[in-house]
Amino acid sequence: MIYLDNAATSGIKPQTVINAVERSMKLLSANPGRGGHKPSVTVATEVYKVREKISNFFNASGPQNVAFCANCTHAINFVIKGVLNENDHVIISDLEHNAVLRPLNKTVKDYSKATVFFDDNKKTLESFRSLVKDNTKMIICTAASNVTGRVLPLKAIGEMCKEKGILFAVDAAQGGGVIPIDIKEMNIDYLCLAPHKGFFAPMGTGVLIAEKPINNTIIEGGNGMNSLSVNQNTDLPEGFESGTVSVPNIMGIGAGIDYVNKIGREKIYVKEMRIINEFYDHLSKNDKVILYTPRPKIGEFAPVLSFNVSGKSSEEVADFLDKNGIAVRGGFHCSLCAHEKLGTADVGAVRLSPSFSLTQNELLRSLAVFKKF
Amino acid sequence: MFSKGVDDKLEHKFVIGSITYAIRGRDILRNNGFKARVERKTSEYKSGCGYAVVFEGDLETAERILKNANIKITKTI
Repeated sequence: MIYLDNAATSGIKPQTVINAVERSMKLLSANPGRGGHKPSVTVATEVYKVREKISNFFNASGPQNVAFCANCTHAINFVIKGVLNENDHVIISDLEHNAVLRPLNKTVKDYSKATVFFDDNKKTLESFRSLVKDNTKMIICTAASNVTGRVLPLKAIGEMCKEKGILFAVDAAQGGGVIPIDIKEMNIDYLCLAPHKGFFAPMGTGVLIAEKPINNTIIEGGNGMNSLSVNQNTDLPEGFESGTVSVPNIMGIGAGIDYVNKIGREKIYVKEMRIINEFYDHLSKNDKVILYTPRPKIGEFAPVLSFNVSGKSSEEVADFLDKNGIAVRGGFHCSLCAHEKLGTADVGAVRLSPSFSLTQNELLRSLAVFKKF
Repeated sequence: MFSKGVDDKLEHKFVIGSITYAIRGRDILRNNGFKARVERKTSEYKSGCGYAVVFEGDLETAERILKNANIKITKTI
């Protein structure tokens, strides 16, 4: 099977990640932050080292701001429900995943959607700027669209947020570990991550980096702190880690970051963009294929591409590809916003998201199947 | 980084609310030349949960270093 669904999760986990998970299961089976015995403190120290790696990778203020959650959606929920009140105004982009849209829709009465221009970052920024109100508390947006791959101008949006005193939260499920993200340079207050994508880590653990406080929790319980109090504390990171964290997954995240650092994030990104452009160029020559974005440029797009085939539903095309040994995702990709924007809310789209480890042979075999559309 | 007086041989403890901050405190003290470790003896701390950074060296210097790193010390033993 040729796996082209890395936007859902990385299809091939590096051996070093698998080894780290296995080592954790064998040697790190004690609960961090719950005991004073040597194994517990040893595991807590190992978890702390992974917090440090994450903090360093994204240039955060330190490991104390890095919390582990069930997934990226969980992290986003912590930010939206823990920071916002129902009367706050919030701005999102018109490419958001439901992980942002749904909790926001439940939490605040008033939010606005900025238009993302595929070919003009200045216009995108102006769209965000034009929507700012006196009570705008936060801009929360995707780092890169999970449907179109479009990267948002995070640095410019972050600068505007700083200038206007607005909090800036980024859903980096898609771009984290792939495109450059620098918390300090981009003035990001909250960064939410899905390490099973960009860092090739196991599924089931997300990351929240909070540079500003979060005043309310959405899950309460034991976290190794203030056990004699009936009230939940909101100290980062443990205040947002009630219950036992997945140590094997966290060790996998640490190994995944080492893996990306060893190869080089930029090198991985450039290769994936070269592959996505091969697909784009091939598909753009087929009269039956409908593309929705300009040719993806480095810095402006992540390696994600959506298309349709005239007269066929996206699921039909995805099934056809599946039968021909190619894994892609049809449908709506949990993104009402993006599909409304593309005009595909009725048919969905076929999404390709290759990994840098795709071989030339796999690429050519895929292109040969695509010729059959 | 710190004075080498007779008291430097004494062990002091800073009780800290979370394991993450305790490890951070330990590492920062170690980077500043202190011999430090993390322990947990909650009955001694009388503060519910929490960990302690146990270290040898000048108490005031260590306290200043951790405060500068925004580490909240809930009790000194």
